[in-house]
Amino acid sequence: MPDLLDLCLAAVEVAEGDEQVEAFAEERSTTSVEAHRGEVEGLTFAESRGVGVRLISDGRLGFAHAADPSVDEVRDAVARARENAAVATPDPFNALPAAEPIEPLDGLFSQELASMTTDEKVPIALGMERAATTTDARVRKTEAVRYGDAVGAAAIASTEGVRAEYRGTGCWVVVVTLAEQEGDTQTGFSYRIARRVEDLDHDGVVVEAVERAARMLGATKPATARVPVLLDPVAASSFLGVLSDGLSAEAVQKQRSLFGPLVGEQVASDVLTVVDDGRLLDGPGAAPFDGEGVPTGRTELLSSGVLNGFLHNTYTARRGDTRSTGNAVRGYRSSPGVGTTNLFVRPGDRSFEQLLREAEGGVLVQDVTGVHSGANPISGEFSVGATGLRISGGGLGQPVREMTIASTIPEMLQSVAALGSELRWFSAVGVPSILLGEMTLAGV
Amino acid sequence: MLDRDLAEEVLRAARARGGSFAELYVEERLGTSVRLDDGKVEEVTTGLDRGAGVRVGHGTSFGYAYSNRLDREALLHAAEAAAASVGDGGPGEVVDLRTLEPPVTHPALMDASEVPTERKADWVREADEMARALGPEIRQVTAVYGDSVQRVLVAASDGRWVEEVRPRIRLSVSAVAGRDDTIQTGFHGPAGLAGAEFIEANPPARTAEVAARRAIAMLDAVPAPAGETAVVLAPGMGGVLFHEAVGHPLEADIVDKEASVYRGRIGERLASEIVSGVDDATVPNAWGSFSFDDEGAPARRTVLFEDGVLRGWLYDRLRAEKDGVPSTGNGRRQSYAHPPIPRMTNTYILSGSSTPEEIVSGTERGVFVTALAGGQTNPATGDFVFGCAEAYLIERGETTTPVRGANLIGRAIEVMSSVDAIASDFDIWPGMCGKDGQGVPVGSGSPTLRISRITVGGTGA
Repeated sequence: MPDLLDLCLAAVEVAEGDEQVEAFAEERSTTSVEAHRGEVEGLTFAESRGVGVRLISDGRLGFAHAADPSVDEVRDAVARARENAAVATPDPFNALPAAEPIEPLDGLFSQELASMTTDEKVPIALGMERAATTTDARVRKTEAVRYGDAVGAAAIASTEGVRAEYRGTGCWVVVVTLAEQEGDTQTGFSYRIARRVEDLDHDGVVVEAVERAARMLGATKPATARVPVLLDPVAASSFLGVLSDGLSAEAVQKQRSLFGPLVGEQVASDVLTVVDDGRLLDGPGAAPFDGEGVPTGRTELLSSGVLNGFLHNTYTARRGDTRSTGNAVRGYRSSPGVGTTNLFVRPGDRSFEQLLREAEGGVLVQDVTGVHSGANPISGEFSVGATGLRISGGGLGQPVREMTIASTIPEMLQSVAALGSELRWFSAVGVPSILLGEMTLAGV
Repeated sequence: MLDRDLAEEVLRAARARGGSFAELYVEERLGTSVRLDDGKVEEVTTGLDRGAGVRVGHGTSFGYAYSNRLDREALLHAAEAAAASVGDGGPGEVVDLRTLEPPVTHPALMDASEVPTERKADWVREADEMARALGPEIRQVTAVYGDSVQRVLVAASDGRWVEEVRPRIRLSVSAVAGRDDTIQTGFHGPAGLAGAEFIEANPPARTAEVAARRAIAMLDAVPAPAGETAVVLAPGMGGVLFHEAVGHPLEADIVDKEASVYRGRIGERLASEIVSGVDDATVPNAWGSFSFDDEGAPARRTVLFEDGVLRGWLYDRLRAEKDGVPSTGNGRRQSYAHPPIPRMTNTYILSGSSTPEEIVSGTERGVFVTALAGGQTNPATGDFVFGCAEAYLIERGETTTPVRGANLIGRAIEVMSSVDAIASDFDIWPGMCGKDGQGVPVGSGSPTLRISRITVGGTGA
């Protein structure tokens, strides 16, 4: 099999005239083990690779990709990208970035994980399933227990002198439990992600999934009220995803961001600092360079509630007369857009117990549903379904369900009162618990 | 795509250690997309994907391995990896492969890959021009055209050999309208299992008009009232709700995991007696249709609800074998990179006896939902929530002011039992359904229908 970087170079070599040509190649092997009722329910192995070719000619952009191509097929892809470019509208901001020195990023790859055998992975899933169904009498079933890992590599080369490659590993566990009591059924979700299998907290994921299902048993629909809302990290992470859409320069330039005209303004409470950091090893989005070969970096998007700016790739940076922040995000099947690498809310100083005391009389929201359908990233309005627990006497009380929270992203950002001190990662989004001021929880 | 002798060799290797069956799935997909944004044909893309997956079943468990190489060495390697998950049984049988005839076909009249890319670029430009012509409020337009031809081969140890070519085509438009500080969006995206003739039947300008009018209409919207009220769902929308809240809990893997609110309740009345619903992969040229599912089972129509009574589950091969019933042809996968699981195809509520006019005029007070933005459901509890992309108040039997920020929240059985009127103006909406990280094309259909009481979440009084 041809080397990834060699495949990329094969594309660059057939550039004609003033054309700019870039090839991005990826390969990945993944294993996933699903356990159910004490047995391995599913075992999936995968190997895949592919190359995407971007070609710019007279400001016109064309793209083509191919799965597991030979050198000849990569050259064919360049020809198809050239044909596609001929149809596109010229845009003076279309250009490939010049090569920049890339600092290596150590710690992305774990040899231990890459050399683990399936026989070593299966017991992880089985053990979690056994623990999840035996720690609480009300939790005897699971909806999903899964261990997964990936070993991958990426390479890029361009006519502008970009030559770079890296490899990385990742692993994750997901547990969804079912709690049952007196005809009532509740589900509990938990998830962990790490680069090295020894950093994966199997026990924590089980304890959390069991607890989150069991404590929701007997939930009722509450009366509509305006109360303090404490978002646990799972719930908070859903909102951060919506927020991130509006922080891309692409959304701003296309008038699809509510933050467009607000740079330099206090758009959120001063406890909120939001950072994108493509070199932070804790987050699964870390890499030495982005989807165009631009070095990744750290961008503080909100500093104590003040909006500093937006995330850029080469196109949006040229159009906005600034520098790329190293946020070109892509797979080999698509040309680079603008996206987050590791996006996180800088944790605060409160323990969970302190947050509960401050939210007295309110509700801990543990799950929100319909954020992507119920939140409009352009207008900022949202209305989502929520489940959680009442907070009383500094602790958690009666579970509540079928509530809706309706507000706007700007209002919610301003209402952030305090942040928990523990940062949790959900895929490439990191959040602590977030205490909001009073919000309307609509029930009966 | 693959020689039969090689397929048999791979299946034998996959059954080296037994298991209840072995299956080989080979896929090749060639697609073109044209994206217009901000007034420019931004990106034109061509892609070739291919790969093969080998599955070995044993009970409700399976081993699955895939590769995007199709050579003998890679396929045998995948077969070995999939077989490794089975215990140490002796070799299993592989029956001589024979071609199965499709129960239904969905022919493309005009091969989209023969249409010059320049023509496709014109389609998205036409959509952009029409949307912008509808008013100065239209600030931004995105038009995306995509076509693909998916070639599928399924060969299995029970002798099935199925080949199918699935042409898919879609042109969708998102419009952003603004007035002062108010911004609203509108989307419309017809799609079919068809060739380029589909674009003639669904002209880009008409798609753009629907999306743009939706965005403009919502500029006048007031905050939706919160609380319980009657909701009338426009054609297709009842199908979206039926798909999410009812369809998912009827998928046999969810039932098998005891995570379905409907488990053990076949034969019970769990919806209003005017509700009958089916899943149907045979609807001609519909987005969610096919000739065979991704396990080589023939496409069919499955009754889910009959006069409000629950009639059955949606099966793939593993779950059907466990329950000792035939597959309902609902084993689907996103691509060769995914093992098949029970999925819906085109899921819809059948027509009733009312008219849409009667339904609206007979509603004293409520919300008329003309477009849902998608939703989420918990199959174990039946709890669901849906966002509304376009909705209006109903006051004294008339559709009046548009409302924004509304969502519908409820529980599947209660809400389906509250359906008190169904018209016959049936329509089917295309969408992409996600489950276990796999997206597949589906259709959701219904006539206009009314839910007598449901909770609407909103910010208004």
